[in-house]
Amino acid sequence: MAQCVLHKMALDNSFTDEKLDAVLHIANIYSYAPIKAALNFGFMVRRDYLAYLEKQNYPIIDLRNEELDEAYVNQCDISHMNSFLYIPLRKNAEGDLLIAAADPFDEKLITSLVIKFKCKIKLVAASDLDITWLSHKLRGGFFVKEAVFSLMKKHPESSALITFTDAQLYFIFGFIALTLIFFIIFFKLTFITVNLFSSLFFLFSIVFKLYLALTGSKSELHSVVSKSEIKGVNELTLPVYTILLPVYKEDKLIRKLIWNLRSLDYPKAKLDVKLLIEEDDDKTLNAVRNLDFPANFEVIVVPFHMPKTKPKACNYGLYFSRGEYLAIYDAEDVPDSDQLKKVVCQFRKLPEEFVVLQGALNYFNKNENLLTRMFTLEYSYWFDYMLSGLETLDVPIPLGGTSNHFKLATLMELGAWDPFNVTEDADLGLRVFDNGYKVGVVNSTTLEEANNEFFNWIRQRSRWIKGYMQTYLVHMRNPARLVRQVGWRGFFGFNFFIGGTSFTFLLYPILLIFFIVYMIFKFPFIRSIFPDWVLYISIFNFVAGNVLMIYVNMLAVFKRRYYELILFAILNPIYWLMHSRAAYMGLWQLITKPFYWEKTNHGLSKLSSTSAVVTPE
Amino acid sequence: MNKFIEKYINGSLSILLLVFYLVLSWILHRTGYEHSENIFIAEKIKLLFDSTEKNILVTLGTSYPTIVFLSSLIFTPFGYLYAPILASIALTVMLYYTLLKDFKESSKLPDFVYIPLLSLLFFLHPGLIYGAISGRGVAAILVFFYFLFRSLFRYYRTQTTFYLSMASIYMTCLVFCDFNFIWLLLAFFPFIVLVSLEGLKINKEQAPISQYFDSVNNTSQRRKLTNRAVAIYIILFLLPIGALFLFGYLNDTHAGNQDYFLNSQYANWHVLGNVSIGNIIINDHTNVSYQTQLLFQFYVIALNPLLLLAFFYFKGKLYELFTLLAPFILMAILIINTQYYFMIEYYLVFLILALVGLSFYANKQFTKKVTWFLVFIAGLLNVFTGIYYFKRTNDREEKVFFNSIRDYKNWLQEKNYSEDYRVAQYITNVADINNKVLIDDAAAFQIVAHLKSLEGIELPLNKSFGTVIENPISGVKFICVAKLSNALKNYTVLNTYNLNQMEMKGQFITELVFDTPNWSVFKIYPLDE
Repeated sequence: MAQCVLHKMALDNSFTDEKLDAVLHIANIYSYAPIKAALNFGFMVRRDYLAYLEKQNYPIIDLRNEELDEAYVNQCDISHMNSFLYIPLRKNAEGDLLIAAADPFDEKLITSLVIKFKCKIKLVAASDLDITWLSHKLRGGFFVKEAVFSLMKKHPESSALITFTDAQLYFIFGFIALTLIFFIIFFKLTFITVNLFSSLFFLFSIVFKLYLALTGSKSELHSVVSKSEIKGVNELTLPVYTILLPVYKEDKLIRKLIWNLRSLDYPKAKLDVKLLIEEDDDKTLNAVRNLDFPANFEVIVVPFHMPKTKPKACNYGLYFSRGEYLAIYDAEDVPDSDQLKKVVCQFRKLPEEFVVLQGALNYFNKNENLLTRMFTLEYSYWFDYMLSGLETLDVPIPLGGTSNHFKLATLMELGAWDPFNVTEDADLGLRVFDNGYKVGVVNSTTLEEANNEFFNWIRQRSRWIKGYMQTYLVHMRNPARLVRQVGWRGFFGFNFFIGGTSFTFLLYPILLIFFIVYMIFKFPFIRSIFPDWVLYISIFNFVAGNVLMIYVNMLAVFKRRYYELILFAILNPIYWLMHSRAAYMGLWQLITKPFYWEKTNHGLSKLSSTSAVVTPE
Repeated sequence: MNKFIEKYINGSLSILLLVFYLVLSWILHRTGYEHSENIFIAEKIKLLFDSTEKNILVTLGTSYPTIVFLSSLIFTPFGYLYAPILASIALTVMLYYTLLKDFKESSKLPDFVYIPLLSLLFFLHPGLIYGAISGRGVAAILVFFYFLFRSLFRYYRTQTTFYLSMASIYMTCLVFCDFNFIWLLLAFFPFIVLVSLEGLKINKEQAPISQYFDSVNNTSQRRKLTNRAVAIYIILFLLPIGALFLFGYLNDTHAGNQDYFLNSQYANWHVLGNVSIGNIIINDHTNVSYQTQLLFQFYVIALNPLLLLAFFYFKGKLYELFTLLAPFILMAILIINTQYYFMIEYYLVFLILALVGLSFYANKQFTKKVTWFLVFIAGLLNVFTGIYYFKRTNDREEKVFFNSIRDYKNWLQEKNYSEDYRVAQYITNVADINNKVLIDDAAAFQIVAHLKSLEGIELPLNKSFGTVIENPISGVKFICVAKLSNALKNYTVLNTYNLNQMEMKGQFITELVFDTPNWSVFKIYPLDE
């Protein structure tokens, strides 16, 4: 007796019994319709399935153009529709309720719908992707509103919806006014003070980074989770692991994505992978539709709502996630194959207060051009040394964009990501500390695609720096409270690492211009505002700062054994100028359009991620 | 037990050593012994804190060896003259404590072998005692030399960037203790190439030289070898070279000369204190034939039996051996162009090297009783060779030190005040704001260091010095000049010869008011008086 289409296919020898058992097992774990498990866990090619239905005299309807009575849809719960892949359409002339379903043979579904609607039901076949798209569009309103406003409702002080508070505006304008007054009255003295303060700040923040790097590099000496521990993991004890993949117009990357997910060493049945597609992103949806091999992810369509940002999509995805742990990856990411197991082992070993683990990010196209080389240098020191250093010193860690692993329950408790913050991950990392939890670092790498195009890089970087500024402003709304929550060390680290980073980039070209103008032209006027001792300190700070920054970059690629990149670190001062350009762009956007998400184009690399060597450390 | 040893025994012994050095330095001070480098640093500190001139950056920013100078600054509250001595005592005790700790952690020698060995050396080796209490920069050199090599050995063990970067930081400190160590840049070459072989996929079973040939004869491996060797080089030497570049640049900006810190008698004691080999041959009627290629290396080994033992125990361990050999290569490089006598620090670094080697050697042989015995005997021999070194040293101040220590009968006799101290006392009595004294601290730094105050003293640091030296009568009443018998007379414009020239030009007339074998103080009068 056929209970669903898969049983029928098994009878027709179109589907093996082993696969059927596996699918039913997964469907049971997740409370999904069997067809959903089959289509989303890599058992079946979507196109083949639709062809099979047509062969069985179930023509596939064009759901988007069907007449639809929303009164029926409104009676349904989005989670149920999403799990069982159906959507009520309308009553037909015979008085039967027409329901579009991915599996028109699903007897269990029919029974439940009859009970629900208390009328005769007629199932028609539709693409599961169309059902998902339409059901989320029509019934996802509540969750998408929650995704946008939940944090603001729960913790308004943590939301970046308001960029500058009144107190901050008073402070900033007061400070600027006071400085201008001093400049008018005591020009020379004020200039010297500002100059000294700036150059000392510059040096200090770089010395702090060197210190962090050295502290972080000590982490090489011990590994929290050994290879043998990972090998010895009993797969039966592994929990369900959710992976969120927020994408927007990433149609070219879908194939890559599937291959990357396949390489993960984690039981297939326990990988709850969600591809988060925006409602208006037909490109990506069609790319999934047209795949000629089985997909191993579930599509979640994020209904339209402003702001159209990645954190909003992720927040939305959370309401459909089933895992105990959750990770975020970008579509082009290539994580170390044992990363998830390593994270589980590490979470099990760490104290309960550790609720997030950040993996290291690096690039598979590092040698593509100068920009990718510089990017690799930067990421190597950032993820391999800086974050480990921050962890060792117990200073708040700004999470990186992807490859961060959460305990799902705590993530929900924290209010998840702030959709108004354009570096929502950095903000979340700090919020974790604010709430008395800890962020750890996992010694596992995810390879990404480095931005290889100048203007694309500037756009991406301007968003990051703007996000750091936003994050800084949000958490400095009440400095006294921040000190109470993260301690003086955390407060100091936060100021130098988050606030200092943006400030240093803004400061850098100014210091450079002064330095060059003084050295080349030696104008008497500049000479007067650079007395010997100021000049001595300025030169020392500027040169020492640059040399140390170059050095820190070199250390990290040395650790990664990217020896060929070491000399490129010398170009770091130029790379910093690019940062400064992006920082000013970010600052401008922070004032004019704070929530605007500068989209980074992916898939520009000519190199394939499969050519990258992924070596778990 | 381990914690007990670390906490109480090591701590107690270190405190005991500290007290021992303090007492010994006090005794030596009573005998009138003062090393000129100690006084040089003390004088710079005095200029820094007591000068009313605003331009103190030239002192603070150009005095070299920088680390020695800066470490002395910490102890300034105990007195300018005593600050460099306290700094070197503190550094030596720190070295002793670190060695005790490292031997406990890394070597397989039992506590009852390494504790007496290290105590024997630090309490009785005249070189280490000299390094601690002379107030020279020797202690700083030894400490950073030890940390540098310790980091390298740890790098071999762990292959982590952390230790390589720490080595680079220590290397920077070492170069700012003694510029000559920058030539380790060349001396480290062989071991860097060998270490670079480690990461290559070649047959590790064969001899290293075959591994090397395998790697250079294969394009891909050769590229990897070069990349890795260059990378290690850069990581190790970027910081010291960058720091030197910066320091040179700052010198150029403020003193008009990139090498000011190396060549100026105002900035670097070695300009005045190094003993030229020519002088030794002419004045002492002796030769320093052992300070020549190869002989020097053998001489050093002869003076350091512990090093010989370290070599013996490291046989077959190529990286470690080449690391231990690097300072020999360094000395071979230095000898090529060095015209001056190598003082004790160039011998002591080899003793420290031996201790690094022994502390890291963890072979089974160290559990054998015969090894314990050999180590201890070699340590004892090292003490005797230390005494031998001081007996035949060609450095005058080292000789004076040794004699001051040896002649214990003079220890408690009435304090012997130096000639410079007596000149300083006279100047202190006469100088005030209306009776200024012109002194050039290039040669007279020992006098300036002993002055009670800098009030009424016209020094090259003062902005008015240029005017005063052209026309002394306009600014000062007294001039302190170096006599022809003064060994430093050529380093200053204020010597007898120049004074005569000024007098002959008819600028002023002089009256000798105070005289010692090396110094004269003249009162000057305008011609019309």
